[in-house]
Amino acid sequence: MGDVMVLAIDCDLEAEVICAPTDVNSLFEFTTPLFSIGGFHFTRTVFLIFAAMAIVLGLLYFGLRRGQLVPSKYELAIESLVGFVRDDIAKGVIGPVHGMRYFPYLLSVFFFLLVGNLFKVTPLVNFPISSRMALSGFLAILTWVIFVFVGFAKNGFKHYFFDALWPKSVPIAMRWLVGLIEIVSTFVLRPVTLAVRLFANMVAGHLMLTLLLVSGLLFVAGVGDIGLKAGIGVIWFAFGLAIWIFEFVVAVLQAYIFTLLSAVYIQTSLEPAH
Amino acid sequence: MAAAPLVVAAEESGSSGIDLLRPEMSELIAGVIAFAIIFFFVWRWVVPTLSATLARRQEAERSRLEEAESTREEAEQLASQYREQLAGAKDEGARIVDEARQAAESVRAETIARAQQEADEIVSRARDEADAETARALAEARSTVANLSVDLAEKVVGRSLDREAQMGLVEDYLDELESSTK
Repeated sequence: MGDVMVLAIDCDLEAEVICAPTDVNSLFEFTTPLFSIGGFHFTRTVFLIFAAMAIVLGLLYFGLRRGQLVPSKYELAIESLVGFVRDDIAKGVIGPVHGMRYFPYLLSVFFFLLVGNLFKVTPLVNFPISSRMALSGFLAILTWVIFVFVGFAKNGFKHYFFDALWPKSVPIAMRWLVGLIEIVSTFVLRPVTLAVRLFANMVAGHLMLTLLLVSGLLFVAGVGDIGLKAGIGVIWFAFGLAIWIFEFVVAVLQAYIFTLLSAVYIQTSLEPAH
Repeated sequence: MAAAPLVVAAEESGSSGIDLLRPEMSELIAGVIAFAIIFFFVWRWVVPTLSATLARRQEAERSRLEEAESTREEAEQLASQYREQLAGAKDEGARIVDEARQAAESVRAETIARAQQEADEIVSRARDEADAETARALAEARSTVANLSVDLAEKVVGRSLDREAQMGLVEDYLDELESSTK
């Protein structure tokens, strides 16, 4: 399956200095399904989504099942990650009382995105499933549904919606404008930015890595045809490896940011309008 | 080339990246199912397992603390016991030394007293013996003097005197003499 991506770029090595794909979408859309059930196409991406799920389940299960008094290094690593989401994100942001109610959701999001994002820099996988709008959009909308529901359930329509729309603490001349901004930002922009931030980061990272590493490989492989120009390939490949490290950090960071912002949004719904 | 269907598909849908924003239905379904399974697993297994582990660790921690506390108390008790014993030993030592000193003192006093007594006895015995010797010598001298006097008187007079009466006279005289010399 790894071949597909390499072959998607058809490159004229003598004319170009870098091998850009003829179609950006081809780097992200695997339209040839492995098999289909009715309208459901089991593509490579779908396979990777389920693979990410299996990995998350495996990581958590083998990391926590023994629950020893003195954990092993691996168990300690998983426990630390889980503890980080619980203490720093769930309890730290939402609060010690309500935090634990949203901990399962936040933990699921964090681990799913962590594994999904890290697929970007995983050899042979090389594809972040969160670069697909289906996934980042779904999780963003899920967070949106949760914090809007919590806001209304906790504060009632008047407090949560009307107080935001008509903020009493703002001078009356500005009130409508601030209210409009507030409503748009809370109910429209939040889920969009949440989804797009993740999606765009993953798309950009995947594009950079593919462009540099594939160009590097193709130029070096074409040394027989283009002679010294193959040296460009070495540069692209070295650059690609540097970006690879950078993208590793981005992958972890974006999983953290998405989870953290979800927690922040839920927290502001619990205690709105200061 | 394996890329051919991909390129064809891409051309059909247009090659602008904007298509990436459109969620793919199959991927959405997969994402929903996968996330639901993860969430269910986390909710029903991870959270309870984790809290059980934490509770067990806390319990272990608490019992370890308690154990440490009891060990500390035990050690303290032992230490105070030793201190007491040590103090007892000191007292005991002092007492033994004291006793020994007293014993030595009494032995010394006893020895001295006995020596003194013996000395006194020796002295008094010596004195008694001396007295007795003196008395005996005196008595002997007296009888000798009496006999000699009588013998002398018989010789002077030339005849036997009434020995008994003369002896009495001499005795009386000697008594008189003795009392006058005293």
